[in-house]
Parts: sequence; C-alpha cells; structure tokens
Amino acid sequence: MISRFALAAVLAAVMVLSGTATFIALGSRTSRVAVPPEKPTSATPRAQALTLPGTLYMSQDGALYSLSVGRFHQLTPEAGWTQPSMTPDGNIVAVKQAPFYSDIYVLNRFGSVVRRVTNNSAPNKNSDPGLNHWAFYPRLSADGKTMWLAYDKPKFQYDVVLSIWAMPATGTIVQGRVWTNAADYTGGDVQPLPVKGGLMYTKYDFASRYAANQPDRLVGMLWFTNRAFSVGRELTSPSEDCRNPAVSPDGTQVAMICTYQKQESYLTIASWNGSTLGPRKTIISNQLVAQPTWAPDGSGIAYLAPGAGAGPFQLWWLPRAAYAPIPSPAPTPSPGGPHNGPVPAPSPATAVVVRPVQVTTNNGFDATSPLAWSG
Amino acid sequence: MRASRRRLSPLRTSFLVVLAIVLSAVAGGLAYFMPAAQLALDSTGQVISLPTPSPTALLASPTPSPSPSPVTGAFTVLLLGSDDDSKFSADHVLTQSMILVRVVPATKKVTMLSIPRDLYVHLSPGGYGKIDGAYSYGGAGAAIATVEQDFGVHVDDYIWIGLLGLVKLIDAIGGIDVVTSHPVLDDYYPADIYSRFPYSYQRVAVLGGPQHLDGLHAMQYVRSRHGDLQSDFGRSQRQQEVLTAIRLKAKELSPEDLPSLSGALGGELKTSIGVSRVAQMLPLAASFDNPNQITQLFLLPPYTHGGGPGGSVTADWGAILPLVHQYFP
Repeated sequence: MISRFALAAVLAAVMVLSGTATFIALGSRTSRVAVPPEKPTSATPRAQALTLPGTLYMSQDGALYSLSVGRFHQLTPEAGWTQPSMTPDGNIVAVKQAPFYSDIYVLNRFGSVVRRVTNNSAPNKNSDPGLNHWAFYPRLSADGKTMWLAYDKPKFQYDVVLSIWAMPATGTIVQGRVWTNAADYTGGDVQPLPVKGGLMYTKYDFASRYAANQPDRLVGMLWFTNRAFSVGRELTSPSEDCRNPAVSPDGTQVAMICTYQKQESYLTIASWNGSTLGPRKTIISNQLVAQPTWAPDGSGIAYLAPGAGAGPFQLWWLPRAAYAPIPSPAPTPSPGGPHNGPVPAPSPATAVVVRPVQVTTNNGFDATSPLAWSG
Repeated sequence: MRASRRRLSPLRTSFLVVLAIVLSAVAGGLAYFMPAAQLALDSTGQVISLPTPSPTALLASPTPSPSPSPVTGAFTVLLLGSDDDSKFSADHVLTQSMILVRVVPATKKVTMLSIPRDLYVHLSPGGYGKIDGAYSYGGAGAAIATVEQDFGVHVDDYIWIGLLGLVKLIDAIGGIDVVTSHPVLDDYYPADIYSRFPYSYQRVAVLGGPQHLDGLHAMQYVRSRHGDLQSDFGRSQRQQEVLTAIRLKAKELSPEDLPSLSGALGGELKTSIGVSRVAQMLPLAASFDNPNQITQLFLLPPYTHGGGPGGSVTADWGAILPLVHQYFP
C-alpha cells in the first residue's frame, strides 16, 4: 500500500516528465528542411573528397572556400564573394557583390586581395540607384592578357542587361569594349568562356525570335563569337535551353546544363570542334545540376546539385568512367612468337554503371557561382 | 480504518499512474501544437462574404452564373498574393498575383491559370477597373466574385498571402530550388520590405539557372517586373515556377513542422479552407509528384492586349472563355 501523499508526489513527477518528454519527442520529429547549411570548414566532407585532384574553389554564403586533399579552407570572410575563376599564374579572379553593385578583384590563392579591377559603385550613395553597375562571371584568357566579364553597360532605364565585355587584365573597365549585343529585357549575355579562336557564352533571349513554333518565353542558349560586336551564332537551340558551358581540358568537349524549358536540369556533354557542337549526350537527368566543371587532369566532372530532396546545393563528383566510352582491350598476342593469324575480336567490355558521388552532405554552395579548379 | 482510507491498492495506483502519463502526454502534445492550432483558428475557415452584384454586373457577366465543379472531388482555389508593405493600409491592398488553381485528385491533375493583375474587368463591387483592385475594395469575397462573374468559373476557396508571408514561408521550409528561367536585373525595385523608407528603391540581381533561393530572393524573383519585356506575364511565369518549387519542398515536411511554420507565418496567411480540409489536403499534395500533370496557363496575347484605360490590359473574352471553360469546367 502506498500513502496518498507519496502517490500524489509520484504522479506529479510522472506528469511533468511525460508532458515534457512528449513535447521534446514531437520537436525531435520535425523534418530537417529548415536546418541551415554548415560552413564547409566545420562540416566533414566524405572520404570521396580525397579523390579529387588539385584544388577546387567555390562559394558559400558570400565566402570563398578551397577544397584540397579532402579539406576545406575558408579564404575570405562572408562578404559577398562569389564566382571564382583561375588566372594562368595561380591567382583567383572573383566577384565581390554588395547590395547595389558588384566588383571584380584579383586574390592570391590564400584569399588576400591583390588588386581591385573594377569600381562600380555610384559616386554618391543618395543618387539614382541606376548609376551603380553589376560585373559578374570574370574569366581570364589563356595568355592572361584579357579579362572577360558580364557587365551591365549599356543600360536604358528599366532595361538592365548584362553584355560580354573584354578589357586588359591589368587595365581598367574604361579601356574595355563591349563584345556582344545583348537582347533587351532578357537578362542579357553571361558566362563568357574564352576558347581557342573565339568566345563561348550564354545568351538569354526569347525563343520565339528563333523559330515560329517556339513559345514566347525566355531561354538560355550557348553562343559563339570571334569578333567584337559581330553577329555571333547559336551553338544550341532554344528548345534545349542551355547554359553554364565548360570546356574539357583537351578542348574537345563541352559540358553544359540544359533545362528544356522546364524546372529540371540535365548535365549534357557534346563534342566541340572549335566551331560547332556535336550530338548531345545526357549524363545526368535526375538531379537539379548546376555548374559542371572539368577536372584539370580530365579524371571527371565536379558539379553542384541538391543532396537529398529539394535542399541546398552540395558538391558532387562524376568520375570519367561515367561518361567516357570504355576503351576496347587490345587483343592479347599468343605466347611464343609473332601473331600470324587473324586478329581476334576483343571481348565486349563488361558494362559497369558508374554513379555520381556526393562529396558534401550539409553545405549550401552558391549554385550561380562557377567552380574554379587548379591542377 | 483511517490508515486504510489514506492508502490505495496497487491496482488503483497503477491505473492512476497510467492515466497521469496519458493525460500529461496529451497536454504536452497540445502545448506543442498550440501555435499551429492558434494559426489554424485565426487564419483558416475565413468566411467569404460575396458582395451583392450591381445590376450592371449581371448585365456584364459574360456567362451565366457558374455551377459547382462537376468532377467528383475536384475543387478550385483562388491564390491571392498582395503587397502588404507599409505603403498600404492593412485591409486595402492590391493583389499583385492572382492564380486560379484547379485540382482533380482522381487524376492527380493540377491546372494553374495566372490572371494578369492589370486586366481591365467589371469589378464585383461595381464599376470597372484593374482586377487587382477588387481585393482592396471588398476583400477576398470581392476578388472571388469578380473572378467568378468575369471568367464564368466557380471558386471553392481562396488562399491569401502577404509579401512578408511569402518570405517567411519560404525561409521556414529552408528555401526552395528553382531554375530561374528569367534573370532579374532591376535597378528600381521597391525597397519596402525591412526598410525605413518604403518609397525608396534598391537594385536586385537574381541570376539565371538552377539555384537555391531564400525567401527574400524568391520574393525579388517573383515580384520584379521592370526588367521583363513581358511585364506581368513574365512575372506570372516566375510566380508559377516558385509555386511549383514550394509544392515540391512541402512534400518533405512532417506534421511536427506545423508549429514552427505557423509561428513564422503569423498573420500573413488567410484562407477559407477549414482546418479539417487542410489536414485532408496535406497528404493529397504529397501525392502529386508528376510535373507533367501540372498545366500552366498564361493569358498572353492574343488572349489579352495592352493599351487599356490607365495602363490596363484588355481581355478578348471570346478567346479567353473557351480556354477557361476547357480547363475549369
């Protein structure tokens, strides 16, 4: 028999514990959708990160990070840094974006500013906001002498479009000249990519301007031009809706993102002969892929895509075996002398399905920022 | 005798302990879901008061009074998105976004029709004007009645969300993944959110391509219309892209997320849909997983033409009504 007093005390304790436990248990069952991404330096990349060659540079939450030998290093503070690319001498060119403008800087590989390239803020902070300028997607030519960028000049009141500009790498934007004629009210021409014999870039334009059967909607297309302000030509069709071009280290293939005018994105590869793209090969079709980047040694492609579900973008790695044709094995000569008979047909290679590898799980990389990779 | 009265048998003691555990667990659960319940009581089940149509409204109605949806289980919801920043008084806001959504659970088909905010129509409270003014004159009831009389459809329910509500909703679900089909570069975007000067401007740049958007940038993407040659039509396309992304993300939510979601939304959401129907619709929403089953309609030319009174858009009802009746029978 238990005394009523003791029982009351026990019941009170049980009720407090049970109620609190229920509250906590329900709270622990929430989905993880709103959990903010961790900084790459505090998160642990998977072991696969060790397989990535060289050093990869990327942006998260306004800071630049490098990934080398499986470890992330934060190069800059969270201050609007994005869109890194490499210079031939191993420095980094990147964008620093403020609320009203963005500028291009040259940083050393440890993240210290070497030089400010542009100065796009309006002279007077209280003046017309349209007096500020955007500069995005900086790229240096292979010889390091020319800097390519997307710059919002000329613009006309509400018609703000980015055009491709070229300027001396050690000069100022005043010495630069506009290279492309961006279509009005489209977002313009972006993502310049200097290639042998010219320039590849992404042009946004209305599909209906290129084919009568196309809808009156905006699409991305890869374009090529080899002369300033000449009429370039499209490399992809409006229906493919492609962007984010990246040329392979040997210059023979182009990786890109094609969305086919849908809320999906496909990692697509095509051969490149210096003037036209070959047949398209879709490599990944079940992820929202962004920013494909070839490894400098040709061993694979890194890209950004959500980890699971519709979450922030993680780093993924696609080994070369996933998209490159498997070489046929050479016939083995019979021992004991020269081979005189008919050459035996090689046995068919065993089909091995190589899947992309998720390198990070809890980061949130900027999917509008290209990855930069040094060998 | 006295001692035995103060002491309980083990059976009764066990019963009391079990009862205490059950009751306190229920209390803990109620406490956990209290914010969601409060929001549900405050925001859902809003009574729609339809304004009495003026005689001219009846004459101007392009079709007879609409009948309820004939397909079993199908329902039509009017989504309303409003500027509710400090430039407007709370109950007199315009609807920057009006999307008519028809859901057919049996076939898992969804049709979304974006109504241009500048469409020049006969307003249900009386007179003519841009359709975005209907809500400011008579609330959700007037907006629904205007859509019903002009488009000849039956609207079962409405969901209204304010600008800040959209930002908070998207942040509460951890952001959304979108292929931004139209890069947004706007030098004169209204700086009326989180700003001491609601009539000032700011620059925004939402670059194109697949990306993860937080609430603020998603709002910039759907709200800007200066840099879009298609103006409101282009904006409608962007709004439907973001809606689709929100629906995709909502599939990952669990019921335990409701308190934090409701806490984030505050008074930025109103709907005529009752709590019980919301509970029924959550699993339904998760089952719609085929993007090809979503039909998106925009009233671009030749359905509409610019040059209407006061910068409005005029409708070609002869073209619009057959289209609307095809998808919203």
